[in-house]
Amino acid sequence: MRPSILTAGLATALIAPAAAVQASSEAEIAQLRSMLEQMRSQYERRIQDLEDRLARAERQSRPPSASAASAATDPAISQPMRAPSVSTSSIPASTTSHPSDFRGALSSGTAFNPQISVILNGNYYNDGRRGSGAALVGQALQPSGGLAHDQDHVHEADHGHSHGGLNNGFNFSEAELSFSATVDPYFDAAAYLAVMDEGDVHLEEAWLQTRALPHGLRVKAGKFLSDFGYANKQHPHAWDFVDQNLPYLNLLGDHGLQDTGVQLTWLPRLPVYTLLGVEALQGDQERFGATLSNEDQERLGLDATKNGPRLWTLFAKVAPDLGQDQALQVGVSYAHNTQHQEVQTHTHADEDEIHENALAGEADLWGLDLVYKYDGSGPHGQGDFKFQTEYLRSVKDLDIVSSPHPEIIGSRRTFTTDGFYAQALYGIAPRWTAGVRYDVLGLTNEVGGGEHADYGSSDRWSLNLTWKLSEFSQLRAQYARNDILVAANERERFDAFYLQFLMSLGSHGAHAF
Amino acid sequence: MPFRILISLLALILMGNALAAPLNVVATNSSLGALVRALAGERLEPTVLVGPEHDLHQIQAKPSMMRALRDANLVVAIGAELEVGWLPAAIAGAANPAIQPGRDGYFEAAAQVELLDVGKAADRALGDVHPLGNPHVDLDPVRMVQIAAALAERLARLDPDGAAIYRQGAAVFAQAVEQRVADWRARLAGAPGVLLYHRDAVYLLDRFGVPLLGTIESTPGVPPTGQDLLELTTKLKGRAGVVIYAPYQSPQVPTKLARDLGWPVKRLPLAPPLEADGTGYLDHIEHWVEAIAAARP
Repeated sequence: MRPSILTAGLATALIAPAAAVQASSEAEIAQLRSMLEQMRSQYERRIQDLEDRLARAERQSRPPSASAASAATDPAISQPMRAPSVSTSSIPASTTSHPSDFRGALSSGTAFNPQISVILNGNYYNDGRRGSGAALVGQALQPSGGLAHDQDHVHEADHGHSHGGLNNGFNFSEAELSFSATVDPYFDAAAYLAVMDEGDVHLEEAWLQTRALPHGLRVKAGKFLSDFGYANKQHPHAWDFVDQNLPYLNLLGDHGLQDTGVQLTWLPRLPVYTLLGVEALQGDQERFGATLSNEDQERLGLDATKNGPRLWTLFAKVAPDLGQDQALQVGVSYAHNTQHQEVQTHTHADEDEIHENALAGEADLWGLDLVYKYDGSGPHGQGDFKFQTEYLRSVKDLDIVSSPHPEIIGSRRTFTTDGFYAQALYGIAPRWTAGVRYDVLGLTNEVGGGEHADYGSSDRWSLNLTWKLSEFSQLRAQYARNDILVAANERERFDAFYLQFLMSLGSHGAHAF
Repeated sequence: MPFRILISLLALILMGNALAAPLNVVATNSSLGALVRALAGERLEPTVLVGPEHDLHQIQAKPSMMRALRDANLVVAIGAELEVGWLPAAIAGAANPAIQPGRDGYFEAAAQVELLDVGKAADRALGDVHPLGNPHVDLDPVRMVQIAAALAERLARLDPDGAAIYRQGAAVFAQAVEQRVADWRARLAGAPGVLLYHRDAVYLLDRFGVPLLGTIESTPGVPPTGQDLLELTTKLKGRAGVVIYAPYQSPQVPTKLARDLGWPVKRLPLAPPLEADGTGYLDHIEHWVEAIAAARP
């Protein structure tokens, strides 16, 4: 039908000018008239046909009880994503004339673009130590990590940026860009970039995750935040406090266990939510399983960095069902890094020379976590309560590989440092949340093996108040009372004050539990 | 000892399978749970994730939801992004490919019917807007009939042995709605109107031609200012109406407004009780009709 109309139309267009010129040719005009007439009748038939079909479809789609009611619906309202209408009769609609029901999720995330969001995180900070306090809380004394006998030596991670680097005054912590999408029926993928205030871009996460594996299995691969513990996986914007807690900050560094590798999780068919997981990661860590540069390794007689994966983790999370209003999750995690190297420096009273001991070995990390949430079902979070606590214990089992003191070469050193934090948040009013946190590092803070030494602990109290103006913006004020052990018998006690804003632009996906 | 634990776990798993219903259905709220019960009767018992005391928009994903979704054959959601803050995370955490959007195991009620408030500006300066349309379709019994018909077909496809039951259930539900709609329409004819907190009952008002006199929050998802309330009071003074708000909305403002206007005020959930079935759902609509009809000049 269509080609014939097209031909006729084309013919009309081609012949029309000619016909105008040769107006005398009556026969041709008559022929054109009949052609046009024919086209018009064809169109009219088709339009009538369509109108009939439309009327039929409308009759079928309208439920019997709704015939009068649908008049009340404003017909002028347009519907860009109209779902196929459905017959109310108990007989299934015939498959050819009616499309099957709509199985997707209605979504405004259109045109196959990934979901994009930008989160702006900035603050005003002030401490009583001209801004050096923010760095100090990440350098609380622990015998491992090169800090043992030398407070001036700052263990500077070679990972481009620091989330904790604050000055007294205004700071822009980061703009976090996130992209996420379903790649195809088999994979989801996401990328998170942190743009720091000097314009440095850091790849926080970039991973793929399976969506079609059976039996409750999922595989994640790429660069990602490990599921070790609870706080490890959270990006800074999801923290309930402005800064990271002391155990994570000191035992794992600014980024926690953020590494490249593969994760397998299994949610077995058990009466209680139980998630089991294992990860194989490259092991390129800031603090837990760090390795030195090539030059340092050669100079100090250490082994070269081993092939990955060097970091392995295991975790289990169990969450009993406590009904509609409450949720509880308990987790246990273990991580093992097959290679850890560090240099410890010391000086002797009668010499100027700095002595370097090179140590190498393995590192273990244990974690316990518990999270409890109560949904107060008040307006805008009023009455909501959240309690979160974690315990971390890091054990580094090292041997002295080289030293200016030959008698200690080959002797063993075990460095054990632990810590925990506990924090509680309560929705004191619609949109307002008050929080309190106590965190401590070094309840056990000791060196064992060939030599014994015991150090004290560092701790901190934090109080904060968060105003969530909407789902997409929040302002937070936080006060912290720090008591940080910086050397064997030296403490720094100082107050720190933060004002933070968090702005979420664009589509912001759901947070995990 | 560990071996014995393993055995008992295994026994639990096997027992779970043996006792399983023909389909494991999870509904996001109690309206949809009621609809599943209306269609399936004794054949299925749905798990309802969120009760009527909670705001479906503000919920957080919980492990117990992932546990429920882990073995689900079908998840029945309201959709149109109402559950966007938690359902995608819960489905992802459940590691269950059968219930991913686009599969037979994923059903959105809002996608089966025509939506209201469609095509509004996607501008967050206007608050928490839904450019796809207002998602609260479950308060319109007539749209629920359409949803029930589509859901019955979906259940029939997933569980062909029960097809007759589901279709029969849909027909019975349609009939029950039809019977009561006439009565409701008569009682609501000429109702002076309702002041809502949020545009969450517009489908019900629209269905019965009841005027929406205004919303207490002038911007969706943002609490009203004193100025907003003053304007509302000035605008509505001297008229008749009723103030209706949901359990999770702040009661102070609606109560004060109702007092200032001399109107009745009613706290009504948007969804029926957790254990409601088809009749329970219609009784829930009955409460709304009663409250709206109570406001007479």
